[in-house]
Amino acid sequence: MSPYLDVTGLNKRFGGLQALSDCSFKVAQGRITCLVGPNGAGKTTIFNAITGFLTPDTGHVAFRGASLDGLSPQRVVRHGIARTFQNLRLFADLTARDNVVAGMPGHFGEEPLGAIFRPFRTSRALAGKRAAALEVLANVGLADRADALVRNLSYGEQKLLCIARILATSAELLLLDEPTSGLSGAALTEVMALLRRLQAEGKTLLVVEHNTRVVQQIADEVLFLHQGHLMAQGSPAEIIADPKLAEIYFGGAL
Amino acid sequence: MLWLNLLINGLIWGCALGMVAISFSLIFATTRFFHVAPAAVYSLGGYLAWSMMKRGAPEWVALLGAVVACGLVGAAIQKLLYERLDRRGATHLVVLIASLGLAAVMQNAIAGAYTSNVLQFGLPWANRTTSIGGALLTNTQMLTVCFGVLSYLGAMWFAHRTLLGKRIRAVASNPFLAEITRLEPRRVHIAVMAIGSAMVCIPGVLVPLDLGLQPFGGVPMLLTATIAVIAGGVGSISGAFLLALVIAVLQNLSLLVMPGEWSIGITFGIFIIFMLFRPRGLFTG
Amino acid sequence: MDFFATYLALAEIYVLLGLSTNLLVGIVGIFSVSQAAVFGVGAYITAFLLMHSSTPFPLAILVAAGLCILLNILVTLPSLRVSGDYFVVTSFGIQLLGTAVFTNWTKGTGGANGLPGVPAPIILGHEFIEPQEFLLLSSIGMGLGCLCFWLIMRAPFGGLLRAIREDELAVAALGKSVLRAKVSAAALAGAFAGSAGGLYATFLSFIDPSSFDLDASIFLLTMVVVGGARTLAGSVLGPFVLLALPQILALIDIPASFAAALRQLIYGLLLIVFMLFRPQGLLGERL
Repeated sequence: MSPYLDVTGLNKRFGGLQALSDCSFKVAQGRITCLVGPNGAGKTTIFNAITGFLTPDTGHVAFRGASLDGLSPQRVVRHGIARTFQNLRLFADLTARDNVVAGMPGHFGEEPLGAIFRPFRTSRALAGKRAAALEVLANVGLADRADALVRNLSYGEQKLLCIARILATSAELLLLDEPTSGLSGAALTEVMALLRRLQAEGKTLLVVEHNTRVVQQIADEVLFLHQGHLMAQGSPAEIIADPKLAEIYFGGAL
Repeated sequence: MLWLNLLINGLIWGCALGMVAISFSLIFATTRFFHVAPAAVYSLGGYLAWSMMKRGAPEWVALLGAVVACGLVGAAIQKLLYERLDRRGATHLVVLIASLGLAAVMQNAIAGAYTSNVLQFGLPWANRTTSIGGALLTNTQMLTVCFGVLSYLGAMWFAHRTLLGKRIRAVASNPFLAEITRLEPRRVHIAVMAIGSAMVCIPGVLVPLDLGLQPFGGVPMLLTATIAVIAGGVGSISGAFLLALVIAVLQNLSLLVMPGEWSIGITFGIFIIFMLFRPRGLFTG
Repeated sequence: MDFFATYLALAEIYVLLGLSTNLLVGIVGIFSVSQAAVFGVGAYITAFLLMHSSTPFPLAILVAAGLCILLNILVTLPSLRVSGDYFVVTSFGIQLLGTAVFTNWTKGTGGANGLPGVPAPIILGHEFIEPQEFLLLSSIGMGLGCLCFWLIMRAPFGGLLRAIREDELAVAALGKSVLRAKVSAAALAGAFAGSAGGLYATFLSFIDPSSFDLDASIFLLTMVVVGGARTLAGSVLGPFVLLALPQILALIDIPASFAAALRQLIYGLLLIVFMLFRPQGLLGERL
C-alpha cells in the first residue's frame, strides 16, 4: 500500500540559499506529525511545495497514491489537502462566518450566471453554506462569534478561525503552520484540544510547531528538519532525547 | 533611405522617452506606487519654460528654472499628498486614484491657463540643422541626445556612487529594513520624487521645442515609458533606457508600414508580448 | 421637462456604466481606466448595427453587450498573469488604443467628427424618440443592471470577489480559482458597459470619440468614488450627483472652451479630496 503523503527528494534553491535539500519523508494517515527545526530550516517551504504555492527544482509529492507535481494550489485543495498560513491571511473585512463560507466547496452560486438566473437556488445554496459554516465554527468553539468581523476577533480567535476555514474545504490532510504561536494559557490549551479532536474525527495533521511542550503533548511522530534536509524522524521522546538535535535546535544554548 | 531617417528619429525620440523612463523607474522602484502625476509634471515643465522665455529669460535659464520648479513640485506632491495618504494607511488603489486625480487637475489647470491649443516656442536656432555623417540633425535633436545620454550616465552614477543613491536602492530593496535602520524612507521618497520630477521636466521642455506644447501630451508619453520600464525590468536603469530606445525605434520604423496614429498599438503590442513571455522584464536580478 | 428627463435618462445610463467600474475597481479591487473605451465599443457597435442592418434594437444591444464581454475578458486576461500594478498599464493602454480606433478608423466610426443619425430604438413597433419615452428604456436598463449587481453580490460569488480583493493567495489556498472569478467579473463589467453604450448611442443619436476617451474614464471613476465604491447605493447616487455638476457650472458665465477644462479639473479635485478625506465616498465602503 502506498503511503498517505509521500514526499521524495525535494530540492529548492532561492538564489544562493538551498532552502530544501533532498528532503524526503512520509506522513501516516490519522496521525499528528510535527515538523520541527530551527528557523530557516525550510518548514514553510515544504508546505509551499506540497500545496502548489512553489514548484520545487526537483522532487515529487504524492497524496493517497496520486501525484501532486505541478498542480496549482486550488487543485491541490481538491485532492483533499488544505493549509493555514503563519501570518493567518484571513479576510479581515469579512465576518468569521463569511470567511468559512469562502472555504466551502460546491460551485453553485460562485459564478454570476447561476447567481443571476437561478436566484432561488442560489438562496438555498447560500443558506445551506451559512448553516454548514456555523457548524464548522461551533466545532472550533467560535459559534458565538460567527457574525463578528475578523478584524474585531482576538488573536486566539483568529487562529481558531484559520483552522475552521480550512476545515470548511473538507480536506482530509491539514497542514497547519504554527497554529499555537503567539498563544498562551487557555487559548493554547484550546488549540491543542482542537487538534486532538480533529485527529479523533479522522483528520491527518502535519503541523509546524516551535513549542517543544506542545510537540510532546500532541505529536505521534516528529520530523526534524535542518537546513532543508530531514535530519531525524521518530517519536517526540526520541527526538527530544537526542543531544545532537537539541544542540542544533537550541544552538548550543543547552 | 527613409528607414535610416526613421531609425535616427527613433533613437532621438528614444532619448527623450528614456529620460521619462528613468524618472518613472526611479520613482516606481523606490515607492512601489504607480504614480500617474509625473505625466502632468512633464507637461508643466514645458509650459513653465515657455512662460519664462516669453518674459525674456534666456533659454538655459528657462530650462534650469523649469527643472528646479518641477523638482519642487514633485517634492510637494510627495509631502502633501502621497505622504498623507500613506499615513492614513491608503491602499495602492487609493493612491493610484488620487494620483490620477492630481494629473487631471494639473493638466486641466494648464489647459485653462494656456488654452488647450498647441503653443510653439518659435526659437529660430532650435530648428537649424547640422550634418553629421550624412544625417541632418536639428539643434533640438542634438540637445535631446546629449541630455538623454547625460541623464542616463547621471542616473547610473547617482544610483551607484552617491550616498543618497545607495540609500534609495536600499529603501527600494527593503523598505522595512530601511525603516528600522534609520534610512528614513519618508525623506528618501521626497528626494526621489523631486529628482524624478526634475528629470521628467527635461524632455518636457525639449520635445515641445520641436512639436509644440500641448497640455495632454504627458499621458501617452508616461504610458510608453512605463512599458519600457516594465519590459526592461523594474529597478534596472539600463533596462529602462535601452527599452525606451528600442520602443521608440520600433514606433518610428512602424511608420514604414502604417500611419502614425496607430503607434500606440505598436507600444501596447510590445507590452502584451512581454506580459505573455517575459513578465518580469529583460534585466531582472 | 425635456431637460429634466434628459438628465434622468443620462444619469440612469451612467448608473449602468458605473456598475461596471464599481465591480472592477470597488469589488474586485483592480484599477481600471478603460471602461469608457468598452462603453464606446458598445455604443459604436449598436450604432453600426442599427444604421447598416435591420437588426432590431434589443438584439443590437445584446450583440454589443456580448462583444464587450469578450473584449473585457481579452483585456483582463494578459494582466492576470502578473497581478497588481501591471493592470494599470493594460488599462491605460486599452483606453488610449480605444481612443485611437474611435478617432482614426474613419470608415467605421466617422472619426473625430463622430457618427450622427443613430436611429432611435424601436421596440414592438414603438419608437422611443422623446426623452420622456426613452426614460422608460433607461430605467429598465438601470433596473436590470442593479438587480444583477444585487443578485451576484449577495450570492457566494460576491463573497468570493470580496475575498479576492483582500487576499488572492488565501483564496487559492481554499481551492477556489481566482482566475475564473476575475474573468467572470470582467465579463459582467463588459456586459454592463456594453449595454450602457448601446443605450447612450441611441439616446443621443450622435456619438463621437470625446464621450469615450480617458477623460470620460476619469469622469466615470469620479462618479464611483463620489457616490461610494463597493455598494449598489453608491453606484446609483454618484451619476445623479455628478451629472448635475455641469448644469450648475452652466449657470456661471464662463467661456465654453474653459468650461470643459474646469469640469475635468473639478473631477480630478474630487478624486483627490475623496481619497484623502472620505475614501468610502458618500454611500460606499472604504476602498
